[in-house]
Amino acid sequence: MNDFRPPADHARCCGPRREFLADVGLGFTGLALGAMLHRDGVAAEGTGDPHGKVRVVPDGRPHHVPRAKNVIWIFLSGGYSQMETWDPKPALNKYADKTYEQTPLPNPLKDPLFELRSRDVIGGARPHAKIFPMQVGFRRYGELGIGMTDWWPELATCVDDMAFVRSMYTTDNDHNAEFQMHHGRHKLDPPEPVLGSWIHYGLGTGNENLPSFVFLGKYKDTRVRWNFDANYLGPAHSGVELSLDPGDPLPFGRRRPGVLAAEQRNQFDFINRLNRLTAVEYPEDADVRARIKSYELAYRMQKSVPEAVNLAGETAATQKLYGIDNKTTSVYGRRLLAARRLAERGVRYSLVYLSDYGEWDSHNKLQELHARSCARVDRPIAGLLKDLKQRGLWDDTLVVCCTEFGRTPGLEVRDTKQKFTGRDHHPHGFTVWLAGAGVKRGVIHGRTDELGFHAIEHPHYVTDLHATVLHLLGLDSRRLEIPGRKRLDVDYGRPITEIMT
Amino acid sequence: MTAVSGSSLSAAGPVDYMKRIKPILAAHCFACHGALKQENGLRLDTGVLARKGGESGPAVVPRQPDKSLLLERLQTDDISLRMPPEGKGQALKPEQIRLLVEWIRQGAVSPDGETPQADPKSHWAFRAPARQPVPVAEESHNRIDDYIAAGLQKRGVNRLPEAPGETLLRRVYLDLVGVPPTMVEQAEFAADTAPGAYERVVDRLLENPRYGERWGRHWMDVWRYSDWYGRRKVPDSLNSYGQIWRWRDWIIHSVNDDKSYDRMIVEMLAADEVAGDDDENLVATGFIIRNFYRWNYNTWLKDNIEHTGKAFLGLTFNCCHCHDHKYDPLTQVDYFRMRATFEPIEVRHDRVAGDADPGVYPKYKYGKPYKPLTVGMVRICDEKLDAKTFVYSKGESRNIIPGRPPIAPGGPGFLGGADWNVKPVQLPPRAWYPGLKDFVRQESRQAVQKELAEKRGVLAFARRLVSEAQAELIAANGSEPARRKLEQIRLTLVVDETNLQAAVLKVAAVEARIHADDVRYLGHPGDADQVARQALRIEHEAKVATARVEVARARRAVVAAEAALAGKATDAKLKAAVTAAKKMLVTTGAAVTTSETSLKKAITSGATNYTLFSHQYARTSTGRRTALARWIASRDNPLTARVAVNHIWGRHFGRAIVASTENFGNNGDRPTHPGLLDWLAVEFMERGWRMKPIHRLIVTSRTYRTTSRTGSTDHPNFARDPDNISLWRFSPSRMEAEVVRDSVLKISGSLDGRIGGREIPQPQGLTTPRRSVYFDHHGEGRMSFLDLFDAADPCDCYRRTRSVRPQQALALVNSELALRQGRLLAGRLVVTPMDDPAFVDAAFRQVLARRPSSAERAASFEFLARQADVFSGAKPSELAVDPKQVTVAPATDPAQRARESLVQALFSHTDFLTIR
Repeated sequence: MNDFRPPADHARCCGPRREFLADVGLGFTGLALGAMLHRDGVAAEGTGDPHGKVRVVPDGRPHHVPRAKNVIWIFLSGGYSQMETWDPKPALNKYADKTYEQTPLPNPLKDPLFELRSRDVIGGARPHAKIFPMQVGFRRYGELGIGMTDWWPELATCVDDMAFVRSMYTTDNDHNAEFQMHHGRHKLDPPEPVLGSWIHYGLGTGNENLPSFVFLGKYKDTRVRWNFDANYLGPAHSGVELSLDPGDPLPFGRRRPGVLAAEQRNQFDFINRLNRLTAVEYPEDADVRARIKSYELAYRMQKSVPEAVNLAGETAATQKLYGIDNKTTSVYGRRLLAARRLAERGVRYSLVYLSDYGEWDSHNKLQELHARSCARVDRPIAGLLKDLKQRGLWDDTLVVCCTEFGRTPGLEVRDTKQKFTGRDHHPHGFTVWLAGAGVKRGVIHGRTDELGFHAIEHPHYVTDLHATVLHLLGLDSRRLEIPGRKRLDVDYGRPITEIMT
Repeated sequence: MTAVSGSSLSAAGPVDYMKRIKPILAAHCFACHGALKQENGLRLDTGVLARKGGESGPAVVPRQPDKSLLLERLQTDDISLRMPPEGKGQALKPEQIRLLVEWIRQGAVSPDGETPQADPKSHWAFRAPARQPVPVAEESHNRIDDYIAAGLQKRGVNRLPEAPGETLLRRVYLDLVGVPPTMVEQAEFAADTAPGAYERVVDRLLENPRYGERWGRHWMDVWRYSDWYGRRKVPDSLNSYGQIWRWRDWIIHSVNDDKSYDRMIVEMLAADEVAGDDDENLVATGFIIRNFYRWNYNTWLKDNIEHTGKAFLGLTFNCCHCHDHKYDPLTQVDYFRMRATFEPIEVRHDRVAGDADPGVYPKYKYGKPYKPLTVGMVRICDEKLDAKTFVYSKGESRNIIPGRPPIAPGGPGFLGGADWNVKPVQLPPRAWYPGLKDFVRQESRQAVQKELAEKRGVLAFARRLVSEAQAELIAANGSEPARRKLEQIRLTLVVDETNLQAAVLKVAAVEARIHADDVRYLGHPGDADQVARQALRIEHEAKVATARVEVARARRAVVAAEAALAGKATDAKLKAAVTAAKKMLVTTGAAVTTSETSLKKAITSGATNYTLFSHQYARTSTGRRTALARWIASRDNPLTARVAVNHIWGRHFGRAIVASTENFGNNGDRPTHPGLLDWLAVEFMERGWRMKPIHRLIVTSRTYRTTSRTGSTDHPNFARDPDNISLWRFSPSRMEAEVVRDSVLKISGSLDGRIGGREIPQPQGLTTPRRSVYFDHHGEGRMSFLDLFDAADPCDCYRRTRSVRPQQALALVNSELALRQGRLLAGRLVVTPMDDPAFVDAAFRQVLARRPSSAERAASFEFLARQADVFSGAKPSELAVDPKQVTVAPATDPAQRARESLVQALFSHTDFLTIR
């Protein structure tokens, strides 16, 4: 019973190849060795588990026909308000200043969902009984009349291309929910690899000269790195942070001052020559061959990465489309334009961090802060969607826009000393949207209650969003696992098929 | 019951039970209906048992799917009845159900004599290790080789010959001390032609302090060493703790001293109970502190349970947080017993000699950030002595099961963990009252003595000034200014005299407090109350004297202010100054009165509450962790020694005997060499749990000394044992991250050999030549250079990954580290004659620990010439470097710069990164 069934192609794995696969852990950021070997005619190795389950190490081939080739994942940190963005709630105005009890609606705090979908890290109740009216007006746009607030004048013109999921929930009522959004686990549970790492693990690269999982953004709080940490898949599957400075875009990806170009070229050639001599000496050592290849890639990567993030070659019209001509929007437009260039060049997954850490966290002055933050990204995001369409990238590239949680329908009242004009954290219901490859155009999926409190129709935990992205890329989340690491049912999520074409 | 048609399958022929049915049942049912558990009395691990059924009757009725309860319970729409139960497994897929139906329809045939699942308690790792007989292999002097030889024979492979001396030397250096041998060390080894040269090198390396850094780092992986993190940007220390580097240093020193492993376990889990006044070893409890999470103590306790289990026992307790273990005989109650063991813990700060007082541990206040501790030490203590542990469900501490009595501390019941004899520990006085420690007293004495000496000096000076002023007054025939000056100086003299009196009393107070402490806490003879009252009285007297100093100062100020006013009686500012000075005189006088009253009150009331030298903690500890530690570090525990030697073996050979080093349970990997593992475990315990003898045994074995090189992929062994499971050769591997960085530094002659100290900031990693183990390493970030080479995940690293990535090439070629050290080394490699052949030879030997082949030599000469051409042909502007950006500039001589370039290239050589 405990023997495992070797994969059919087991016999084809000669010794060194097998060891090669084992030692390099099949993980390259920047190249999928699995995919490389597959092209070389080498198949993947199955790993036995004493309970009869056969796990197959990914070979870079998708599990089913993919609908998307790459993903641009836009993250707005701090928790944007669902009602002041893409889930407007006129009932808030109707019941403004009333407590939940004073409305004819059921008290959402007494709903069993309230306990079920929140888990404190620190403890301490966060009351928010008085309903806070919407801080901005809204209109209905597009064929379906999708409600969107007045802070999105540009994005409103794209509404017929977007699929809104208005019924997301998470379980942490504090900002660790940000990392939860990326790896799927509550702060009190050990983290899983982030979505981008699973994609890299499953598919490898679409361009050997570029890293395949990229992080674009700036942050001072180093915890932001948890959003692109491969955790137990190992650092080879972690996101690679690229800077938009073409002079120094990749860590160690630039000649140091005082090193001449010709000098370095000679050095690479020399190393290559020596390593090839060693390869002859040790034909059984697969690492040597992998290393020779990786040096060649390194040299090319050093050239390709600056080219990929260099926006100078883009026309003025394109730059304008992304708002690069404008001081307020420029920095965000540049990140998204770079993401498009990376997607075009085969980068599978770009995590675009389109805000400062915690920027959207509007406990106070929500009106002022959200208006400011929306103005920063409205044009760039709309520009990206339009650009993808005009370039024919729409059917290759999936765009996801999300945050870590929503905000309370009630007024923030944590600190009684100050008069607050904002909303508190709210894991129980929030909105994300998707657009592009494999996604229905102009649809709404799921619903929160009348106050925007609980996700009541088609509720989706964050891993459902992961499963959706994986599914569109041709991967089945349930087939992504490695021996010795137990994934729970909730970790796999379920694809939101209703929004897929 | 839902009727299922399976007729479509009949055409496919008989359903093979072993191949198609049993795997389904194993995956979905065995955990609750197998050897581990028999819910409702039902077992499904053989066909016979399934037909026999449980309390509700047969689960499977041959040829009658409609009467088979198994199918009913798998398919019912009633979610409370459906199997597997909600949350305990996935529902079966329709095609799996169809297979089961068809199997039953065909008669539910299973093979005769089918063996049921083995009792999980009889799992190999849960039985005591014993030396199993193994034939002595020919010529073998090392038992390891006997066990390996048996495996080789079984697979029909031959061991390759011994590795060449230079390869072996480099291998054992990198393995034991984490840096390669220099040219000089290579030459010494080559020159030692007497028998036992290799063994002598091994002995030397094991005594080299670099060994503790290398192997300390291995154990830091297993014990999850992390510097503080949480919100470093703020800064807010949430996870682990400031000053935890003292635990890192303890690890390195303990490994270097070959402290016995059982003792190390006891100290890491319970030094505060077994050696409560032993400053050197209290920091060992950093093992528990490392798991600290300020925001949530449940997480802290949870991590302690999980990682104590994984690190020392190879048991995955974490699975039992929510439910009984699915594969091992560990129950949820066992989990909560473990939790009860840790329940009373709290963080504690202690003073360290020569360091400022870190103050007591501040309890968390909601929303307040806590800067990392930067002085003293952090250690564990039991604070909540009567802490109770309640079982909760679903892994959520808020779901405490009402009415269930608290759980007593203990461990896994099946390993005797329910029978611990937990006894409270009476702590030695210096443990609960660290103010009794000699260094604290000494530093307190030094402080007051220093003050006393200062005051004496000041007074002597004042006296001299008085005599000078007196002489001046006489010389000036009693003039008014001279008189006034003398008066001022006399008043200063009064201040200084009062100050001296206060300083004398302060010294007396410290001595009296020490004496009182001696009598009260350390059993010195005397009347405890009387000495305490005495100490309190002198403290008050010192306070009165200090108050009097202020009066003397005020008096002097009044006189000075009046003197300033004299002759300028209308100056409002000066008038105000006189008023203020007089007011101050009144205030200070009142303060004296107050302090005198306090003194009197202290005397009449008979109070004994003199000032202590530190906080006093609980005088007892629960002894729970001591019981845990003793149970783990026991010869009777079947897991502890096995888990440890398995880690050691794995880090010598690149693959452990049990690959799942943190899971020795039923779901873990099987040992490749069970007999060897047991033999090593017994050997380890019999040699007093000391690691160095085990290292010596391993690295002097023929198995370890075997060459890794076959020279061909056609070697017949590849066909028989492609994965080298039997160790017919030594498996080459890539250096770990730290070894890459440290080796570059050692080879270049730059390595700073200082051991220990506060963690060094990561950004200095490429320029500060300390060993990698001393740089900060935590849950918020690793040094990027190390990270590229798969540095340990500080939150979970029972095994390291080893990747080959292009960014590694870039880090070697473009990092300040390789460039700078390459330049330094090229300058330091002095050879005679200083020509290219000699240089190339030396560079290969220093960097790769071998001589170049003729082809490599030729390539190197060509390279040197080509680079020299580049440099001589370059414009001066291209060659100019900004000294701010480049700390070690390239040589100006083109030939020398070409040599620098060659050395730098060798750092990227695959043979540099590879341990062969």
